[in-house]
Amino acid sequence: MASFDKADIEKLIDGVLPWPATQEMLKSSKDEDRFDKYVEIMQERVDFDDPILLPLTPMLFIVNDKGSRVVKCKCGHSFGDYRVNWKLSALIYVRDDEEKLRQVYVGREMPDPAWLQLREYVCAGCGSQLEVEAVPRGCPPDFEFLPDLDTFYREWLGRPLPDTCEFKDATLDKINEWSN
Amino acid sequence: MSATASSTTSNTPLRDRMHANDEAFKTTGSVFGLTSLARKEDDPGTYEAVWHILSNLCNTAWATGCKVSSSPIAAEGGDALWALHTATGEAVCISRGISAHAGLLSDMIKHFIELGYEDYPGFKQGDIFENNDPHYGGIHSPDFDMCMPLFYQDRLVAWASCVSHVSDSGSVTPGSIGFLNPDCYSDGIPISMERVGEHDAFYPWYEMRIRSRTRTPDFVMGDARGRLAGCITVRERLHEVLDKYSLDFVLDAMNEYVEDSRRYAVKRVKTQTVPGRIRKSQFKDLAMKGKRVLLSKQNIDCMFNLPMDLTINADASVDLSLAGASGTVPFGENISPTALKSGLMMGYSHVIGFDMFNSGPTTAWNVEMPPGGSWANPYPVDYQAASGVAWAPAVTWLSSLYEVFGRLFQMRGFVEEMAAGSGSIMTAEFAGINQTGMYLTGLTLEQASQGSPARGYSDGQNSAWCIYTPEGDFGNAEVSELYYPILFLGRNVAPDSGGFGKFRGGLGHTAVWMVYNTPGLEYQCGDAGMRSKTVGNHGMYGAYPTVPDRPGYGHKTNLKQLIDEKKPLIHERGGPDNPAVTSKIIAELAEDSAVAPFVTPEALVDYDVIVHPISGAQAMGDPIERDPESVVSDLNEGWTTERVASEIHGVVTTQPNDHIVADIDATVKRREQVREERKQRAIPFREWWSEERKKVEAQENMDNAVRVMWETSMRLSPEYGESIRKFWNLPEDFTFTPDAD
Repeated sequence: MASFDKADIEKLIDGVLPWPATQEMLKSSKDEDRFDKYVEIMQERVDFDDPILLPLTPMLFIVNDKGSRVVKCKCGHSFGDYRVNWKLSALIYVRDDEEKLRQVYVGREMPDPAWLQLREYVCAGCGSQLEVEAVPRGCPPDFEFLPDLDTFYREWLGRPLPDTCEFKDATLDKINEWSN
Repeated sequence: MSATASSTTSNTPLRDRMHANDEAFKTTGSVFGLTSLARKEDDPGTYEAVWHILSNLCNTAWATGCKVSSSPIAAEGGDALWALHTATGEAVCISRGISAHAGLLSDMIKHFIELGYEDYPGFKQGDIFENNDPHYGGIHSPDFDMCMPLFYQDRLVAWASCVSHVSDSGSVTPGSIGFLNPDCYSDGIPISMERVGEHDAFYPWYEMRIRSRTRTPDFVMGDARGRLAGCITVRERLHEVLDKYSLDFVLDAMNEYVEDSRRYAVKRVKTQTVPGRIRKSQFKDLAMKGKRVLLSKQNIDCMFNLPMDLTINADASVDLSLAGASGTVPFGENISPTALKSGLMMGYSHVIGFDMFNSGPTTAWNVEMPPGGSWANPYPVDYQAASGVAWAPAVTWLSSLYEVFGRLFQMRGFVEEMAAGSGSIMTAEFAGINQTGMYLTGLTLEQASQGSPARGYSDGQNSAWCIYTPEGDFGNAEVSELYYPILFLGRNVAPDSGGFGKFRGGLGHTAVWMVYNTPGLEYQCGDAGMRSKTVGNHGMYGAYPTVPDRPGYGHKTNLKQLIDEKKPLIHERGGPDNPAVTSKIIAELAEDSAVAPFVTPEALVDYDVIVHPISGAQAMGDPIERDPESVVSDLNEGWTTERVASEIHGVVTTQPNDHIVADIDATVKRREQVREERKQRAIPFREWWSEERKKVEAQENMDNAVRVMWETSMRLSPEYGESIRKFWNLPEDFTFTPDAD
């Protein structure tokens, strides 16, 4: 089983690992400790101390915040319960007319705003652009991934988390709150 | 050694063996009930060696068959595939080429067995069976699927199979990308689960049918002979392998390769992904209103809903649903579930099961049948649905699979395995008399060489990849010029065609052709999976998706005059707001931003120009995170523009000499400013939702194609519809209302 230095994994993440070493990583059997090393690297790079449970994206992390599992940006801004689509707690900028779309796509490259809106999800803390959606009006935001965290830790990693949390999509609960 | 359901000494009818295999899988969770891999464990060296021999045998068939074929699509583009199967149809290994078909070929063999063909007309050495009919599992009429039973010592021990994409399928319009076909009756020549030859030769009436019902019969028959030659190659080489390694060993090993591959895929899911639920929306346009169409019902614009709802279970099995898929369209862009699943098998092999590409990995899926009457499951609700280019929505949907698994790999830290979404597939097809006086119709292979997706650690590669084949190969320009009455004026890397992100997708290219030496040529800018009104929903980690597909052309130009006067011609596309087709030449009809797909309103003539762009692939990451040095490198290469560098990536540059350099300090300041501007202009999601839900309910600024899409999606998948109503807090009886006809 292959094993890679943490320093090389960091270089890979930063896109500066030389190609022969990258190829070696691609070809080798995967290292069993990668997840732990990756989390360790990310933990060193974020601006908060809460332990990372899962790197949801390179910028967003599910963390244990004093017993609660919440999504946090690298900068520390919190998006709340990981079972609610974090986008509901983000800032959003929507390009749904030609003027706004033209700032990204000019001339013949511009899509038709009657067919598509470009939704930019922004962190209120650091201003990072976290996701962009290109969908027609009416499309709910994609909840790209709801992890089954307890199964992951208990059955796949073999080390259960100290507490458990029901695996359910709670996004519509939040919408219900807003609707009422 | 564990007992196998598919015993190598069994004389049991194939259909019974197939059912026993299914039962064994249900009971044990292992393909053929193989709870251990005895041959692999006993003799791993020979096991591995035979795998490579069998794979190479398929590749030999590919090389032989493509050369025998002689059609430009196979001979130059390699657009074909050969495979070796078990006696019960599971694909064991495949050649290079269009790997999307392996599942179709496997299902076709199983279908022949299930339908009782073993009893009538029977299987014997030298029989040739074919299908291209979507009603019986085919993908689309130009893809002729063939299989031949392979006998050894008087026993049916395996199957050889092949698919080749013919240059003309006899559909209502010339060529093989029949997006304009209004119904299945216009899809072209059907070969409906037929025995088309015996004793290694086609029936005379098979050739007679092709001669009377396709426009390029010499090429179509050439392809048929190429398929046959490749399958015979498989048979002959397999005999050598069986003589050398013994029948028992090879047949056992063939079964084990399939189960081995399943185990590999399951293990990969478990060790490199995370259990949970994934949702990815995807959409595709087909805007045909006001264009040259065949029937009045086609004078419409369409939008496809291509949702991907995927769950990774605790046992690493994968559930997949297309709930929400929109309704069929009156064009050749509907696909049978069998064909869709085959495409999925290919996509999955790229991202998960690529150690041994065969039927194994897909056995760990539970694919929910797509909603009846949707583009992904048209029959029998819309029995007349056309499938002329059924790949179009399928590959666009499949693009989500790359991003979805890229996200999962990231979560486990396997950054080297990440990929963003794919490029789109816009084809160029010609029909007319060529320079030798020969009528010709067919594809160029330009679209088979797109940019590759951005990786977690780097940009994608330029013109090096294609979603439907592992080999990005657009063939030689000079050979295309021999077949078609065109001359290449340019083949250029297309700037800014790989999206905008921390890592960009590999760039696509633009082909610039001049029509030459023909009395008239039809240019069909085809849809094999492109977008023209929209962009892909591939804003992975904050990137902007690739630009829409917008080709151009100039009709009745001044090119001859420019040539005579030895003046500069048109060799590239020009900027998005400075197109070469209108700024560098004069034309009576100049179109730089045509909404694809389309057929030119009238035949093109000598010295007309076509500007055909090929997509780059998708990017990932916040564009202002892109290394400023990568941005200036692209600027110096001519691969990006000053506007994108400055306004999208926030890079400030200077040009002290001929070379552009980044001003790092100014860039850091500019990027801080961009972050602040973003926070200022964006609003809390809840605030937006409160206003947006009113616009959704009022169906404000929603094109009719979008409303039709939502209406059919919600009707065909009631639970999906309910989730949309709940999200926007819409009335219980709310439906989107398309325009009255």
